[in-house]
Amino acid sequence: MAQTTALWPLIIYFAAVLVVVGVMLGLPNLLGQRSRGKATVEPFESGIVPVGDTKIRFSVQFYLIAIFFVIFDLEAVYLFAWAVAFRESGWAGFIEIVVFIFVLIAALAYLWLIGALDWRTRRQRRVESKINN
Amino acid sequence: METAVRQQKGAGVAPVIEALHGRFGAEGFVPQATHDGIPTVWLPKERLLEVLRYLKHEIGQPYGMLYDLAGIDERVRVHREGMPDSDFTVVYHLLSFGRNDDIRLKVALPESHPTLPSITGLWANANWYEREAFDMFGIRFEGHPNLRRILLPPTWNGHPLRKDHPARATEMEPFSLPEERQEREQEALKFVPEEWGMQRHSAESDFMFLNLGPNHPSVHGVFRVALQLDGEEIVDAVPDIGYHHRAAEKMGERQSWHTYIPYTDRVDYLGGSLNNLPYLMAIEKMAGIEVPERAQVIRVMISEFYRIASHLLFYGTFAQDIGQMSPIFYMFIDREKLFEIIEAITGARMHSSYFRIGGVAMDLPEGWAKRIREFIAYFPPRLDDYDTMVMENGLIRRRTRGIGAYTTNEAIEWGATGPGLRATGFGWDYRKARPYSGYQNFEFEIPIAQHGDCYDRCLVRVEEMRQSIRIIEQCVNNMPEGPHKAYHPLTTPPPKDRTMHDIETLIQHFLSVSWGPVIPPGEACITVEATKGLNGYYLTSDGNTMSYRTRIRTPSFPHLQMIPIMSRGLMIADLIAILASIDFVMADVDR
Amino acid sequence: MTVGSPLNVFGILFSVITVSALLIWVERRLIGIWQDRLGPNRLGPLGLMQVAADMIKIFFKEDWTPPFADRPVFFIAPAIIMIATLTGFVVIPFAPGIGVVDFNFGLLYFLALSSLSVYSVVLAGYVSNNKYALLGSLRAAAQTISYEVFMGLSVMGVVMLAGSFNLREIVEAQRDVWFCLPQIAGLVTFTIAAIAEMHRAPFDLPEGEQELVAGFHMEYSGMKFGMFFVGEYLSVTLNAAMMVTLFFGGWLGPAFLPPLLWFMLKTSLVIIFFILVRSALPRPRYDQLMSFGWKVMLPVTLLNLLVTGAAVLSTQH
Repeated sequence: MAQTTALWPLIIYFAAVLVVVGVMLGLPNLLGQRSRGKATVEPFESGIVPVGDTKIRFSVQFYLIAIFFVIFDLEAVYLFAWAVAFRESGWAGFIEIVVFIFVLIAALAYLWLIGALDWRTRRQRRVESKINN
Repeated sequence: METAVRQQKGAGVAPVIEALHGRFGAEGFVPQATHDGIPTVWLPKERLLEVLRYLKHEIGQPYGMLYDLAGIDERVRVHREGMPDSDFTVVYHLLSFGRNDDIRLKVALPESHPTLPSITGLWANANWYEREAFDMFGIRFEGHPNLRRILLPPTWNGHPLRKDHPARATEMEPFSLPEERQEREQEALKFVPEEWGMQRHSAESDFMFLNLGPNHPSVHGVFRVALQLDGEEIVDAVPDIGYHHRAAEKMGERQSWHTYIPYTDRVDYLGGSLNNLPYLMAIEKMAGIEVPERAQVIRVMISEFYRIASHLLFYGTFAQDIGQMSPIFYMFIDREKLFEIIEAITGARMHSSYFRIGGVAMDLPEGWAKRIREFIAYFPPRLDDYDTMVMENGLIRRRTRGIGAYTTNEAIEWGATGPGLRATGFGWDYRKARPYSGYQNFEFEIPIAQHGDCYDRCLVRVEEMRQSIRIIEQCVNNMPEGPHKAYHPLTTPPPKDRTMHDIETLIQHFLSVSWGPVIPPGEACITVEATKGLNGYYLTSDGNTMSYRTRIRTPSFPHLQMIPIMSRGLMIADLIAILASIDFVMADVDR
Repeated sequence: MTVGSPLNVFGILFSVITVSALLIWVERRLIGIWQDRLGPNRLGPLGLMQVAADMIKIFFKEDWTPPFADRPVFFIAPAIIMIATLTGFVVIPFAPGIGVVDFNFGLLYFLALSSLSVYSVVLAGYVSNNKYALLGSLRAAAQTISYEVFMGLSVMGVVMLAGSFNLREIVEAQRDVWFCLPQIAGLVTFTIAAIAEMHRAPFDLPEGEQELVAGFHMEYSGMKFGMFFVGEYLSVTLNAAMMVTLFFGGWLGPAFLPPLLWFMLKTSLVIIFFILVRSALPRPRYDQLMSFGWKVMLPVTLLNLLVTGAAVLSTQH
């Protein structure tokens, strides 16, 4: 397919999108009213003066999710390549990818077993095990 | 005027008082007769803790629940025959499920030194009640973990239920809110974790302190839970109430017995006239009015309608708070049909103030039964639909089962009543245990569930709606003939038929209408199974046209106190489910 | 008409914005009907002018950037979702000859842009300096990246069947049978991932009204809030169009209707399905959503790939 010629419409479209977004961001600045109250400059926290701010250290849990994502999404990219070319690679390629996916699933199973995929709190785990019994 | 204190019919000394005398000796214990027949005894404050401990732990069939704790300012009370001298009295109302009986203990305190030992070590729910008594009367409880105001802002001056505190705005300086005062008030609301013994950091992370409410979609009114969060997990929670406080108890001292009725509608504003019932029955007890049978059945019928209306709203918001947006709209349609019936009978929808001293405001309108029969046929199939939609929904089950659970013992310890108690597997319903207004004549069951979690609390309420329909059906089928109001001079409005015959009755009628009836001196506490649990009115009459002290014991107040134990270690989303499952309205909490 | 003609470029941009704005009205009316009430019915015929009124109103709202927020990022965040979703439409094959470009890597382009729009939500919540917004953006980050993982994998079955990332070729490959049948597992996982990526109810945890009030867009108001709002409807339209392309044969259909109409009809039905889901289902909890993604969806998509591969290879030989 003639990709280079087909790129022009994309650029024009993108420019048009930027114009639309620009108008949406810019126009209210001219049209909108202005109001200033005492509480306007405070973050909303259910109408109460907040204690502490949002600049705090989070638990390591969130970092773990990001790492899992990086690992698994990267593996997924290999699968993308295989998916489009799997007819050419035939059964040999298929067996290779079975091994690959098996390794992925093994990693997933490992994470599952060590409890890294369990985001429940300790009390949630306790009450839920009680219910299932 | 009759004697201030009338002996209850056939009442000797109650067995529990005898047991107290046997254990502690009779000295210092002063029994008091009340109209409600609840054994009442004054005791010296030195004895308080040991007597309460004895009643809770040692006596056979113990008094497990601290049903109520409140103060009375006795300084201007006239009719105090037989009672020890007291400026401020603290009343402890205990409930025993084993005995199916109550006991009321009173401690007299001098104005100069209103101090008492705290009983928070005995009953967990005493915490808020003692704070309330401190807030309202300035009574100090020694040993209380955090004795601070609860209903009023920390900046308030004085203790409003004291008789010398102004009751009306006209008795005070005109209200104004200049900027610096607003700032001060807002700053006073700021949550300080250290005041509640909380850490700001753990070893691994910083805690976030989040004000959930008073302006938040899921707190059902104006209510704040200050949360200590580790990520999404709730480390600790501090419920903060008082934003909806309207001084309902204080107003009770300034309104005539009759004109206070509409205020009671608005205490649990979803319960409507069901709230009139305990208030009026307490007055009728003191006045010695027998309510005719027809009025009793009408009262039961209207009460059960309001129970359904309240439970329907609960049901819808319960689903909505878990993220299911549609059921509430279907339930509002049903509620609308129900309000149309209530309106046809009472003339109003949510707050009909339909009950009167001695009966109800007017007789049932023509054709009333037809519309109710239609509703009885219409409603149960809808409930079945909602079962499929809500109760059998897998996500709802996963979100609510096991969440916010407490045991029967915890429930009793914390003063939880109503569906929240029955969801733990304890089938105790005031309508069965101590029938009032003729509930003994009806066939119905007490729905219970086993786990005491959010799901079960909903399940119990759903089943209660079915039982309410059963009761209403029996009302329709067996509505007795007869007057809808007692023939008694103290009823409101008073009987008028003889006013045009002689001047004496005319004058009497004129006074009773313009000033309101004079209720004989005495005390009575009447409790009913309200929509959200046990709702009791503890009225003290000093032989006047107005109440001397109106104490309203509401179910939601102790329920909210349980939020920390229900939600610790869970997530914000669970807290929302818990809040929804408690079924509270802030008017009922703050009064 | 050819793909990429000026009429195409501007026509498509205009249509998708109009349709998305209209969706606000459609959703409100539909949910209204399902909930036994009316919805907006006052302005214009059937209340249609409600959209115009809302748009005019929002332009006149105050352009407010809170002083405690990180101003440039606060400004850019809503633009990201608008740009990412609007430019996502360039690869959609609306009908033969109708579309902006014809990319060989159309599907990958869509997946890339859909990841990009995640930034919008995460940044918006993070820089708002509001605790509810922060919680919302933490939820959004965790949720969207978790569902991102298998969103791409869920459509690989389609790629295997069609042998191409080119969306027009994928549509053409469905002449015999729409991929929703052989790729039913792919369809289900993609739908769930799409709802999670759009963070629409029941997976609206980042904004979950009952829990976080407004979540990540708590401090946004006026047009900047409106951009998140429209951005959500844009991504509903985009994802519906993508589902139609991948699983429901795109513009294909009996000849009594023109291809473009078929495409629009199918997309509308998918959109209505999204709206129905929103009005029917309650919201799972954060941990439930996460473990569902990792423990159920991810293994299912991987197995789906293996089964598809084995099936195709064995019929080939």
